[in-house]
Amino acid sequence: MASEGQIAANRRNARKSTGPRSGAGKKRASRNAYRHGLTLSITSSAAYAKQLDRLVREIAGNTEDPILLERARAIAQAELELARVRRVKVALIERASAFGELDPPQAFSSVTQIIRLLNAIDRGRVPSFPEPVDSSATMPSQEPDRSAEAIRRVLPELRKLDRYERRAAAQRERAVLELSDRIKYGDNP
Amino acid sequence: MRRNELTLLPKLPLLITEAADEFDALRDAFEQEIKPRGIIEHMYVHDISSIVWEILRLRRCKVVIINSAFRSALQDLLKQVLRQPGQYEHHVEGEAQILAQSWFTDQEAKKQVSEILSGFDLDESAIEAEAITRSSSDLEVLDRMLTSLESRRNKALGCVAEYRANLAQQLRDSADRIIDAKGVLRLEDAASERSTAA
Repeated sequence: MASEGQIAANRRNARKSTGPRSGAGKKRASRNAYRHGLTLSITSSAAYAKQLDRLVREIAGNTEDPILLERARAIAQAELELARVRRVKVALIERASAFGELDPPQAFSSVTQIIRLLNAIDRGRVPSFPEPVDSSATMPSQEPDRSAEAIRRVLPELRKLDRYERRAAAQRERAVLELSDRIKYGDNP
Repeated sequence: MRRNELTLLPKLPLLITEAADEFDALRDAFEQEIKPRGIIEHMYVHDISSIVWEILRLRRCKVVIINSAFRSALQDLLKQVLRQPGQYEHHVEGEAQILAQSWFTDQEAKKQVSEILSGFDLDESAIEAEAITRSSSDLEVLDRMLTSLESRRNKALGCVAEYRANLAQQLRDSADRIIDAKGVLRLEDAASERSTAA
């Protein structure tokens, strides 16, 4: 267990960690959690909303029962969410297949490298800029090797998406059970 | 009816190297087996087909990952077995590289490698083992994903059965009500009738 002195030191140090200061740093940090946009609501797009309504109507039929309609909507939403995760998965693989990686090549891998370069300019030297690594050059040219390599390179991302997919599938299963119960028991569960 | 349901369900996105008609054939095979009725069952069959398609994609990837590690695996194995006492690996690196390269195209080289390996009671499975070891971190993630997909496929199959059992129970209950009331009750109106009664 930490002593009071250590706790106080931790707090003092934490106060120094105030995150990015420059505009570019703040902008970059604001997108830290953004990778695939799966946390956005699917009803935020008009096309999705239209597709959702058609699917709800097909599931619920001609009923006007608001509870049945609400449960049909939950099923349709989960179904479209599943489709969205699958689209994101394929898009990631295609991107890795085309460019060799998800992130664009960086000229500098650390702040230290940038400082060294600026120091060299200050000393009047003309530094040579490091050549960015072209990841696509290391991709196999033939199929199915290229697709397999693309999948291999985005495996950590695919694994994360798997969680979203499982959650959407579980939501749909729950909603289907609730819909069945509503049809079976009506207002008397 | 089936066409209408299929157009309502979101299409499975495929890689540009995958053939849409192959996926359709896979889904048709599942439809023949499961014979889905209604949008919910079609949804489950579409889900099962999509999961199986992804399982096949990942299995193909697994094979390619092992195959692509074969050459470097063979080269490393050869460096180990060609090295004489007192020699370092770099002394035999060139020879191992040439042999590993020729192993894929030259039958003589293949025979030579087999003889070298048999001198240590090894065979081609040692190359495969080395290739798998080299790719183990990727293969482990792939295996986890495959396990998760297989479990979801089994669950979806169970869901179809459960949904059908529920539907069958509903139909039996509705039939009983019709007989008890000696009246004509349309099944699709049962739910709305209950809601208006409430």
